[in-house]
Amino acid sequence: MNIEQVLAQAEQLLAAWNKETIHPESNRLDVVIVADDLRAAVIALHDAHWGYLSAITGLDLGTASAQLEALYHFCNGPAVASLRVRLPRDQAILPSIADIIPPASFFERELQEMLGFTFSGLNISARLFLSDDWPENVYPLRADFTLDQAAPVAVRQPDKLPEQGFVGGNTFVIPIGPQHPALKEPGHFEFTVDGEIVTAARMRLGYAHRGIEKAAESRNWIQNLYLFERICGICSHTHAMAYSIGVEKLAQVEIPARAQAIRELVAGLERIHSHLLWLGVTAHEAGFDTLFMYSWRDRETVMNLLEQITGNRVNYSANLLGGVKCDIGLEQAKAIKEGITYLETRIRHYLEVVTTDTMFLNRTRNIGTITFAEAENFGLLGPTARASGITRDVRIEAPYGAYTRFPVSVVTETKGDLEARCVVRLKELLVTCLAIRTIVDNLPEGPLTARMPRKIPAGETISRIEAPRGELLYFIKSNGGETPARVHIRTPSLCNWVSVLEKAVGRQLADVPMLIAGMDPCFSCNDRVVTVRHTGSNENWSWKQLREYGIEYYKR
Amino acid sequence: MNTLTSLFTILIFPAGLTLVLVGMLYEWIDRKLVARFQNRVGPRWFQPFADALKLFAKEQITPEIVNPYLFFGLPIAALAGALTAALYVPLLGLNPASNFPGDLIVTIYLLSLPTMCVGLAGWNTSGRFSLIGATRALTQLFAYEAPFLLAMLGPALVAGSWQINTINSYTQNHWVIFTQPIGFIVALIGLMGKLELPPFDAPEAETEIVAGALTEYSGRGLALFKIGKSVELIVGLSLISSFYLGGLNGIPSFLLKSLTLLLIMSMFQVLLTRLRIDQTVGLWWRFGAILVLAQLVVTILWKGFSL
Amino acid sequence: MKFGTMLKDVVESFFKKNVTQLYPIEQTPTPERFRGNLQYNPAACTGCCLCVKDCPSKAIELVTLDRAAKRFVLKYHMDRCIYCGQCAINCRFKCMGMSNLDWEHASLNKKEFTVYYGKDEDIEQLMANIAKPAVDSTDK
Repeated sequence: MNIEQVLAQAEQLLAAWNKETIHPESNRLDVVIVADDLRAAVIALHDAHWGYLSAITGLDLGTASAQLEALYHFCNGPAVASLRVRLPRDQAILPSIADIIPPASFFERELQEMLGFTFSGLNISARLFLSDDWPENVYPLRADFTLDQAAPVAVRQPDKLPEQGFVGGNTFVIPIGPQHPALKEPGHFEFTVDGEIVTAARMRLGYAHRGIEKAAESRNWIQNLYLFERICGICSHTHAMAYSIGVEKLAQVEIPARAQAIRELVAGLERIHSHLLWLGVTAHEAGFDTLFMYSWRDRETVMNLLEQITGNRVNYSANLLGGVKCDIGLEQAKAIKEGITYLETRIRHYLEVVTTDTMFLNRTRNIGTITFAEAENFGLLGPTARASGITRDVRIEAPYGAYTRFPVSVVTETKGDLEARCVVRLKELLVTCLAIRTIVDNLPEGPLTARMPRKIPAGETISRIEAPRGELLYFIKSNGGETPARVHIRTPSLCNWVSVLEKAVGRQLADVPMLIAGMDPCFSCNDRVVTVRHTGSNENWSWKQLREYGIEYYKR
Repeated sequence: MNTLTSLFTILIFPAGLTLVLVGMLYEWIDRKLVARFQNRVGPRWFQPFADALKLFAKEQITPEIVNPYLFFGLPIAALAGALTAALYVPLLGLNPASNFPGDLIVTIYLLSLPTMCVGLAGWNTSGRFSLIGATRALTQLFAYEAPFLLAMLGPALVAGSWQINTINSYTQNHWVIFTQPIGFIVALIGLMGKLELPPFDAPEAETEIVAGALTEYSGRGLALFKIGKSVELIVGLSLISSFYLGGLNGIPSFLLKSLTLLLIMSMFQVLLTRLRIDQTVGLWWRFGAILVLAQLVVTILWKGFSL
Repeated sequence: MKFGTMLKDVVESFFKKNVTQLYPIEQTPTPERFRGNLQYNPAACTGCCLCVKDCPSKAIELVTLDRAAKRFVLKYHMDRCIYCGQCAINCRFKCMGMSNLDWEHASLNKKEFTVYYGKDEDIEQLMANIAKPAVDSTDK
């Protein structure tokens, strides 16, 4: 079935509630519906197994129109069908679909906090991204939001700590985070433990807030490229790539083949970097420090390669709107090949270690098993999903850029436990190494950039990229100016959190860090969506005050 | 004069201050070996001393809900236990400072005192991480104590005495490691469990419960616990090398044998993943205890036949 | 049942040199494309300000002393710069580049982070202009 047929199928499924059909791009279908029909439409798509819910975008259509809009994006292979619902600003009530599709609860909470939608049936008022002392009824992503509205409530309440110590009997609540040796980035988990067995799990995100989505609205298109790159250190190139591809689609500029190939090359190297880092972190959580040290030592090889090619070890800035900055000459090609040969040997060795070392397998085999059905229900993405047998990989379902010319093969496992996730990631690296070699040998000739206008024509676009952690979705809306009107980013880690919370219950406490590491969380990718408060606060704490505060805090 | 000599032996050399310094030296050697195995540089020779000095210089923050006497006293008790155990062991290859029949049992009991102090300290501070750490520490204590004692008993049986001094002189001529290899392995791994070295560091698993029972300790208390651990290391190494590796009769033989054991222990640390606490206990009660019991039975039978 | 799968690595490392680089005693040279400090060639500059417009962190300010005579001074905030290289790409006259040798910027003083680039006499004049208001006020 080609894209038109797939989209026609979706259109047919939604025929009963369809108020208006728009085809903004060749692979997209927008169906306008009213709020009351939302649940029926979602159930229709869900029951027919037409794709999966990838993201829910919220838009503020401006104070003049006094309307908000919510878009529900369903992805099926390369086709994307979006349900659009328009609501008045002060009465933005939508029915929640979290009971049909579990990961929707995270998306709905984001819209609830950022834009002020109300989801009836979603009985979670606890903040997900915004801090607990953010004032009520102030929605950062609305167009009429100004910074002085964001003053914290008068008396700062201490962060809601869970009940200290005992909660009756043998149970107590263990917090992991925001500062904890298990986490590489801050996040907060609360595990209710009975002895050593976990009985309940809760989480809180938003500790690495930087206000990126809002900040993007006041920077021009080129400045935003560098802003989005810095959302995350290990998926930085994929963010820049997703943004560039989206903007190039809006401007209808075709970038040269050489640039596309180089983008794929750098993305491949980044994948190697990311998965080796992940391997080290998982080994460290398990207590296998040797594997941690060795895999990070080998990560230096790929970082040096990236430095040679692009000029920086992290935040490569290889992308430009319209192409790439750095070329691959003979010297770089030779270095890449040598580096990749070395890395392939090491990756094969790690694959062997991970699958045969008895002590390491004691910590990974049959732990955190997610079956195929559960993975589909949770809406998982990336290697976490592929380890349970779901063949979900944007590079294969909806190839972008040079992936049509230099394809990669999909790697899946069936068991779905932590060992399977390790194996999927390492095997993916072997596939990536092969692809990199092919690209270096067959780099197409041509220029590196295409000319891009400074004002991008009006329109909306969705670009989907396979980041090392899963599918990354960028929704970019332009009003024809020099700055974007709205950029919504849905990162893969947000979808995968459900797996940790569900699977932690019933397992031992010692498995929890492994479970968290197993889904390869990227907290920096998650937390982007709050305005940074200016520290024009009147309090200036002296060193002495800070010290005393810290000591008093720790005495409790 | 006798009192003065005794005091000198207990406080300065070879127990007391020298023991503490040698303990820290061995801790450095262990860390350096582990680093070299992991292709890293490792700390410089004065690192453990610098750590101890730094901790002594830092302020000790006492949580509000603890019993202050226990909070201050437990680190001291832990260190005292380890130092006292050292008096009956051929420390640095020299004669034990004191000996009496049955001092093997006393030494092993005193060696388990630091672990019990850690468990009690964790319960005392009653923070969430400390409680879990304390529970794990005590669980591990129950698990490995029995096999370790039985492994120490093997050489005692063949030497026909409960006195460490006598056993030491017996093993000068008989290398028990060849006749009781299983006992040796159990003893060595038991020592790693006692000291909470990886892979048995579940009680202080950094990535799960921050620092286990010692989470709330800082400054002096933490320094004393750590020094107690390094002293335990020396005492344990002396015991095992004296019992299994042909006795200790001087500083060179002590250095050679204990450093060999340290090398083997470092390799275990580097090659193995941390075990969960239930896996540790399962391992010990299934393999450790049964194996060493079998070993003992063989030894008893053999000794019985050769009498 | 396999234990110690990394035995070969571990034993080999014991006899090999360690991989730690004892910086700053040992230093590897940076690759040619490394993006370090900004370099500005005032001779070619026409004052188009494309670099200023697209800088993501407002790290460049271009002070015009005399537009007709092409006398510009570039005020560069080293602490705001994110070393992305967009300014170098934007410049049509190739007056901007990123050095690969000048990148060790640790300092005890924030003053060192504002750098003025340009011809010497231009910089002197700019400094004089900045200092002038103080001179004026004391005159009164």
